[in-house]
Amino acid sequence: MDFYYSLAQIIGFHALLGLSAYVVLLTGQVSLAQAGFFAIGAYVAAMFTVLAGWHLVPAMLAAGLAAAAMACIVGFPALRVRGLMLVIATLAFGEAVRLFFFNFDYQVAKGEVKVGPLGGEGFRQIRWFPEHGWTGLDVMLFVWTVVALVAGALWWLDRSRFGAVLRAVGEDELAAQSVGLNLTAVKVTAMTIGGFIAGLGGAIYAHYTTHIEHSNFGVLLATFAIAYPILGGLRNVLGTIVAVIFVQGFLVEGLRFLGDWRNLLFGALIVLAMNLRPNGLIDAATARRLARLFGREARRA
Amino acid sequence: MRRTGLLLSSALVAVIGLCGTAAAQERAVIIKGFGAKSGVVRSFGINSEAAMRAAADAINSQGGVKLGDGTIGKIDVEFLDDRCTAEEGISVVRRIAAGPALVAIGPGCSNVAEPLFGVLQRKAGDASDSGLQFPIFTDVAIKGGLAKISEWAFRNVPSEIDMYNALFTWLKTKNPELKTIFAGVEENFAHSRASWYAVMKEAAPKVGLEVKGEAKWLLEDTNFAQQVREIKAASPDILAIAAHPFTTCGVLKEMRRQGVKVKLLVGLTSSSSMETLQGCAREAEGIVIPTSFAPVTKEAEAAAAQAAKFNGSLDLHSAAAYENIFILKKVIEEQGVLAKPDTVQADREKIRKGLAALKETDGLLGKSKRTEDREAVKPYMYVHAKDGKWAVLFNPLTN
Repeated sequence: MDFYYSLAQIIGFHALLGLSAYVVLLTGQVSLAQAGFFAIGAYVAAMFTVLAGWHLVPAMLAAGLAAAAMACIVGFPALRVRGLMLVIATLAFGEAVRLFFFNFDYQVAKGEVKVGPLGGEGFRQIRWFPEHGWTGLDVMLFVWTVVALVAGALWWLDRSRFGAVLRAVGEDELAAQSVGLNLTAVKVTAMTIGGFIAGLGGAIYAHYTTHIEHSNFGVLLATFAIAYPILGGLRNVLGTIVAVIFVQGFLVEGLRFLGDWRNLLFGALIVLAMNLRPNGLIDAATARRLARLFGREARRA
Repeated sequence: MRRTGLLLSSALVAVIGLCGTAAAQERAVIIKGFGAKSGVVRSFGINSEAAMRAAADAINSQGGVKLGDGTIGKIDVEFLDDRCTAEEGISVVRRIAAGPALVAIGPGCSNVAEPLFGVLQRKAGDASDSGLQFPIFTDVAIKGGLAKISEWAFRNVPSEIDMYNALFTWLKTKNPELKTIFAGVEENFAHSRASWYAVMKEAAPKVGLEVKGEAKWLLEDTNFAQQVREIKAASPDILAIAAHPFTTCGVLKEMRRQGVKVKLLVGLTSSSSMETLQGCAREAEGIVIPTSFAPVTKEAEAAAAQAAKFNGSLDLHSAAAYENIFILKKVIEEQGVLAKPDTVQADREKIRKGLAALKETDGLLGKSKRTEDREAVKPYMYVHAKDGKWAVLFNPLTN
């Protein structure tokens, strides 16, 4: 069973990464900076639990806030550009963050050993979960509580006036501006929320792997982050989560038994899924069907 | 007619019964391998898998493993790809630990080994630590000092510190005219980086070599023009290339293109493999590398031939995978492992204890010593590329 708990944890922190990109995508912006925010969250949370001895929850919140602050700072200049220029700008930011951690040394003596980030060697012994006796089930429940809270908050946000504002900016910037919306404020807010969520995801990731290094947060991770909401569809948060389950649960783990063929099938199946479901795995029609189904069930109950 | 039929039926039942009894007396001893079978370092996984299968085949054909209750166990090997990523490595081992495997051999990449060992229980038997209780016996990941992370982690990899200290001392004795050293480092690969900064860069000044700096590149790089210009500008006597075969060959080819020559090339342990010679035999001519494997003994020759049957080649990494299977056979027999479905966790604990108790193991080049922190001190030699083949330059064991 432990393996399935572990898989659920992986799906959990990837879901947070995907949801962080989902918020930004609602405003029509394609950001490749999410891996950078994820990295900031991972390093900040790990430093608080390992070096300062904090409990994981406040460390995660601090990580989320640090990533959100960085997203806000980056958001202002980056979101002044659009389309491909924004993709390049956010990609450059992600790489800058990665290279920062590649050169970041901050080790302190803890007993006989030194702990903390050590540049390219990485940051080892982030063992908060096992050291506090958390079982695989405990960690899985914790991760999915965080995912549920974030997904629930985004679901609510989507149905609020602010959600409508986000989608309005995403649909047509000119129209949104002509009705008096401050585009920069809306986009930077979305970027900040996305940064916070990515920071939370990174914090969990660091404590899952127990060792982080700059290479974990490269372009591939940034691509996955943006691929989840695009593959899942932007109709609602469920699409992103379904896409993460499809990629991490099915393509990465489910097909492992295929050995070398798995890598060949990986890309082909993503292309196939996008062709069969061009509007996302959970498109508008599916979302309506699900809503009708659950609405009927709720009425019956 | 009826009598004949009855006799035939009885004989058939007896044969089936005998076969059944024989099958019941044979048990599968499941050992899983894992490592990179895709990406730039996929050769690690391919060769390790071949070596493990070859060793298992050799043991099984010689009668198998004698289990604690007297039955015979046959080693069953399966190999899983972790794509050289920490996340997948952890996932693969959790998958393996959830099944009937008694022990796992791997991983290939140090950047997987480090997080993976962190997931294991740090001190065996510590009830307050909920880390994974599953023995890992590493064959390839060579970055120094990793096994001390967990008491469930064991390694059969050579000590690069010992090998490069000895190599530089020997080189300086043989070639006193060599004064300076410059390095090319694959910066984003844990092993390559550690091998230069923590091993070679420390060892070189001890024998009076002046370190003139380093040029840096990444594992995925394909263009080395700038780095080779840096090498040319430094004009060192020795160029140490702390990189894997793929980029080692890229740099050597670029050096040839730019006409850059040095007096001596020193390579990374992992590059003493066939991939280097397949990729750039001409450019690598003369490169000196310390290694813990070369087919210089009868056992090593036989093992290399056996691995070739399984479509792999033995090098210092895969040779360790081959040795690990034999070491595990010995531990399983000594510790009375039962390999029954209901004794899996107890068997894993026995294997952990057995591996921890080892002071010495048999290897393809001779005896290896085991250290307190679960590492190996393996015999080694220096090889150099000569006429498209690896040839032994100096063997401390025979000199």
